[in-house]
Amino acid sequence: MTNRTYVFLTAVIGVICGFVIVRTLLSADSLTVRNDLVQGFFVGAGLGVVAVEILARIKATRINGWTTIFGCGLPGNGIFMRAACARIFPGPVNVPQEAMYWKTGVDGAGHTLSGERDFILHFPPGGLPPNDAFWSLTMADAKEHFVANPINRYSVGDRSGLAQNPDGSVDIYLQNTAPAGHQSNWLPAPAGRFNLWLRVYMPGAAILHGGYTVPPVIEARSNR
Amino acid sequence: MTGYQHLLLFGSVVVAACFLVIYFWPRILLFVYKRAILVKGFGEGPIPVNTLYTEPQAVFADPLRAAPASGSNLMTTGANRDTLLMAGWLDLRTGPQVLHVPDMGDRYYSVQLTDPSNNTNFAYVGKRVTGTEAGDYVISGPGWTGSVPQGMTRISSPNNSVLILGRTLVESDADLSAAYALSKQIHLRPLGG
Repeated sequence: MTNRTYVFLTAVIGVICGFVIVRTLLSADSLTVRNDLVQGFFVGAGLGVVAVEILARIKATRINGWTTIFGCGLPGNGIFMRAACARIFPGPVNVPQEAMYWKTGVDGAGHTLSGERDFILHFPPGGLPPNDAFWSLTMADAKEHFVANPINRYSVGDRSGLAQNPDGSVDIYLQNTAPAGHQSNWLPAPAGRFNLWLRVYMPGAAILHGGYTVPPVIEARSNR
Repeated sequence: MTGYQHLLLFGSVVVAACFLVIYFWPRILLFVYKRAILVKGFGEGPIPVNTLYTEPQAVFADPLRAAPASGSNLMTTGANRDTLLMAGWLDLRTGPQVLHVPDMGDRYYSVQLTDPSNNTNFAYVGKRVTGTEAGDYVISGPGWTGSVPQGMTRISSPNNSVLILGRTLVESDADLSAAYALSKQIHLRPLGG
């Protein structure tokens, strides 16, 4: 199930719950205790699913199209924070000091990422993610699977030999076909929709204190 | 009961059920991991309790492989091309477990200890927290009163159940076998066993 499908189903659950609540309010005089308990339980559970989605959106940080959430996995987190983290990163997620993760399925303008168009992630000079371990940018299709490609490259990062531009900036080419002359900085995209994951392990202080922002993915000018 | 009382009861049940879902959401998520480890395994059968399973080299080397015919694909979803993964489930009711880590030679690695009741990490062993030298860490459950042997470090778990998740950095395809050999040396044994 893709994330969009999940969000759509959550919205459907919310609408059904709202309908049942309105109907209950209008027919309060003909209710039975059994109605109250059974319908209350299911409506409450449904609203819980909706609430987790809303909490996740409140607690998450979304900058330049990238979604992350600071402060996950820490002992002492409250129930709302724990639920939000479990929704954004469904698993035993690291504490921020160990690793930070960003994901996106859209470019900086909010358009869906797809191999039908060419995209670039441009890091300004000195703007690669600060860290004491490693960082990587990984390509996934809409179902979060790796993408088959002719050069067997599934991620780029500090260990992949990225070439710098003359001014020290770094461009990563996110497209379905190889960019002429820039193969070392090519992260192959599928023909259709894709998602990106940015991982930074042992992130630097600039990340942990919010001073660092991940640059937006931008659509390249059409050249084919 | 009057309509008003019915609405009050209905509303109370709604609010309670809503909070239950929010509260149990991380716990249910971690229960899925527990089942994946102890019941399904990752293609080579279930992982016994108090055992650390290491992702096979072949799985890391072939990111496009099909999901294992039997077992969970949880370990290999998430599009990770950086670290070899290790996973295990601890049951500390029968006594502490000793986590042994070898000298990792300055390589990034981490062993994350997660309380499955709320999906928070109560301790780490690894480059960031303990460095990359060899060491033995006694992971004890609540209420354990024994003494820790000399040369070992105690880690107190708030829960008798612990999800343990390890990551070892793979520098390149050529480095995979070295990373795997080091990961395999990270292991668990019972204290006094």
